[in-house]
Amino acid sequence: MRLKSVVIVIAIVTLLTGCWDHREISEITVVVGMAVDKGDDDKFTLTIEGINAKELSDKTASGFAPSVVFSLKGDTLAELSQKMNIGISKNLIFSHMKVLVIGESVLREGILDFIDFLERNREIRDDFNIVTARHVKAADILKVTFLVQKSSSLKLHTQLNSFVESWGGDPDIRLNDFIQAYTSAGKRGVLAALTINGDPKKGGSVDNMKKGAPDAMVVVDSMAILKKDKLLDFLPLKDTRNYLWLINKLEKTVVTVECSKNKFLGVRIFNTVTKSKGSLVKGRAIINLKIRAEAYLDSTQCKDDDLTQIKTFKKFGKLTDKQIKKDLETTIKKLQQNYEADIFGFGEILFRQDYNNFKRIEKQWDEYFKEAIVNVDVNVKIRRSGIRTKSPFSEKK
Amino acid sequence: MAPSRPNRRLLKKPIKIEDKLRNTEKKVEEKKESFDLTVETLPSEVINAFGNSADIKMIEGIISERNVKILFLESMVDSTSLKETTSKFLSSISPIGEYLKNIDELSAYCKGIFGGASYKIVSSKDESIHEIINGSVVIVVEHIDKALAVNIMNGEKRSVAEPTSQTVIRGPKDAFIESISTNVSLIRRRIRNKNLRFEQYTIGEDTQTTVYLGFFKGIANEAIIQEVRNRLKKIKVSAIFESGNIEELIADKTFTLFPLALNTERPDTVAANLMEGKMVILIDGTPFALIVPAVFVNFFESPEDYYQSFFLGSFLRMIRYLSFMIALLTPSIYVGVLTYHHELLPTTLLLSVIAQREGIPFPAVVEVLVMEITFEILREAGVRMPRVVGQMVSIVGALVIGQAAAEAGIISNIMIIIVSITAIANFVSPIYSFATASRLLRFLLIFFAAILGLYGVLLVLVAMVAHLAALRSFGVPYLAPIAPFIIEDQKDVFVRFPFWNMKKRPKYIRSESEQKVFSASPPSPSSMKGGNTS
Repeated sequence: MRLKSVVIVIAIVTLLTGCWDHREISEITVVVGMAVDKGDDDKFTLTIEGINAKELSDKTASGFAPSVVFSLKGDTLAELSQKMNIGISKNLIFSHMKVLVIGESVLREGILDFIDFLERNREIRDDFNIVTARHVKAADILKVTFLVQKSSSLKLHTQLNSFVESWGGDPDIRLNDFIQAYTSAGKRGVLAALTINGDPKKGGSVDNMKKGAPDAMVVVDSMAILKKDKLLDFLPLKDTRNYLWLINKLEKTVVTVECSKNKFLGVRIFNTVTKSKGSLVKGRAIINLKIRAEAYLDSTQCKDDDLTQIKTFKKFGKLTDKQIKKDLETTIKKLQQNYEADIFGFGEILFRQDYNNFKRIEKQWDEYFKEAIVNVDVNVKIRRSGIRTKSPFSEKK
Repeated sequence: MAPSRPNRRLLKKPIKIEDKLRNTEKKVEEKKESFDLTVETLPSEVINAFGNSADIKMIEGIISERNVKILFLESMVDSTSLKETTSKFLSSISPIGEYLKNIDELSAYCKGIFGGASYKIVSSKDESIHEIINGSVVIVVEHIDKALAVNIMNGEKRSVAEPTSQTVIRGPKDAFIESISTNVSLIRRRIRNKNLRFEQYTIGEDTQTTVYLGFFKGIANEAIIQEVRNRLKKIKVSAIFESGNIEELIADKTFTLFPLALNTERPDTVAANLMEGKMVILIDGTPFALIVPAVFVNFFESPEDYYQSFFLGSFLRMIRYLSFMIALLTPSIYVGVLTYHHELLPTTLLLSVIAQREGIPFPAVVEVLVMEITFEILREAGVRMPRVVGQMVSIVGALVIGQAAAEAGIISNIMIIIVSITAIANFVSPIYSFATASRLLRFLLIFFAAILGLYGVLLVLVAMVAHLAALRSFGVPYLAPIAPFIIEDQKDVFVRFPFWNMKKRPKYIRSESEQKVFSASPPSPSSMKGGNTS
């Protein structure tokens, strides 16, 4: 009898849980992108990009728009995201969201109000890129079609990932990164900033997708730096790479180094590691950064230098060290003096390595950051010179 | 119960006959002397006992003024041997009339002329009937109160051919046939050892089917042998035709999808299993032998694993485990993911699936069920159908059902991939009967995936494993040597170790003698100095 009741309870508990989140795949629209702008009277305008999957497959495509972009105004994203059927036919699923674009105006006022929704929602995952739109409305970013991925969000996701891998132009910020930066005392957040090259209106048409040189294109413009959840300013792209380098997230990049007057080297950096040490000495933060990198020579305009000699490589290596050191220090100085915003997480280094001292000055870290002494030590080893030793033009004799 | 258990059934039979004999004797005693076996009465009594069946025949002859009658079932005897036998008794040079005055002389004479062939002196009507049924001719001679039964059962059997359901590329190509004596000889030829024993049972009250229990004395566990004997003896049914009948009657549990005895038509598989300490049950009239005890992992072993390089053997074995999972899970995971867990698919795959399913009128579960059941129908048709129209089904099945359904937009292309991979993976199982488990459980899994998603799939799997863990085959835990985990036996479970390394017989069979490889040094280059190793 007891066994029977146990079996019944188990059966009820396990079997009566079903079906509530049942959604047939032909009854859903996949949301790949989300954009948040300021509403006119309301707090937000939420724009979503829902994929028209038929257009993305070569077999079924018939040349129509690859996605539906639809906007609604309201005060909470939670309500708006479930109200989209005002205009859209199928149920929306958010689990495959690739990009979140935050409008510049919203970012200036603070974005905390809707980040909570993104973090709390059970469908939304932490694997989409968070970016901001500069000069244009965030909604427009989602509308621009592209030749290859067709949908703007899918294109952006691929584009940003490739950019990180090849050059280091996207800080690669996910939800977690943003929240960590927000909650940490010793770190400020950043975001990649996108803009549209060309006419945003033309960019939304299917014709834009058919052109090799599109009327409008979404490009990575710069890097937005934040103070808590509010926009501070935009920094040029070069600083993005330096930022990644300093926080040891850079995968590969190319640096241009002047080897003699108006002649340049292209040095492809790979295998780079940044080690950071920090401490507070006599009320001043001292950060020592040690960058070790390997590189190969990708191009040289100084054809007089003999690449069969080791000393040439050493010389080029020294030049590269100097160039990188200069670049990094410029970026650090800019942030120290102009913005007092520690986006590099130097405060976190101190938090880990000199906890007791840091704890005392935690509240005034911004001022301490301004005064911090940052030593950058760069050592790049140039290993190879591509698949050629001597320049093809130096052999003409 | 008397201690002479082994052949209870065999012992019982004669007792019965004796009883009857006694009864008849009593009747006969009243009429005549103590004999019921005379050339006048026996033939008519036997013919009456067979109800004058069309195939009971009698040859009469008179040699030296003595009546000789030969009784036999035309359908059971070999006509050439019949001619020979009758000629020996009825020809003019037959010695019967001259000096065979009593049964001793007759049997001495028979010893001479039949040599090795089996003959028997019978002394009652029932005995003669028994012999006639088993393909003997019964010869009665006037003035001799016993009859002679000479077994000349016809050899109507096909020759040993290649296995049809358990084929290998490398390895012996012979398979069992319907004749039990041939099957025994196929095994005996592989194990030439006096310790290979066969015990005979007659099972089926009406069919009187011969069943052999074979084991290797000294390797097989005595307790398990005794258990098998007991279970065989307990069988009391009217008819036995196939090993499947026996399997259901002796299995520890019949309410399970998993086979608890391994059936095989390969003598080499039987021989190898006997040497591991298992038992074989051979049934007359079927080419499929049963190997007991059989555990879960045995159904993933093919004899070829041991004939090929152990790398390939191990690889193929893992492929089989993988295909079992594929056959079991693919359709249900498809249903679960498509209706509940869209987030599990990579975006591009999800989009491509959505694009394919655009315009499909059915929910995923209906689509899967329709296709799976269609496939089962095709498969059953393919097995039952006359060979001549066999090709039709493959054409109709593949082209019409598959391609046309997808083109008509009733089912999606990805569904065809799912059904095909499921079907193909299902055929990988080396033992056909094991595939039924994944074949049927699949539908349960689809059902649960449809109402509970992957959570439901997991629930069924948990229940399945619990069920497997509760099963036993002749006392051996079905999941052994995985649960209970036996580390020594792992050399022959998911991978196969090289022979020189597998020194012991599997522990879970509880063999009487564990050592299998006596000299266990791995092969290494010759230590001889010199030679051409410059």
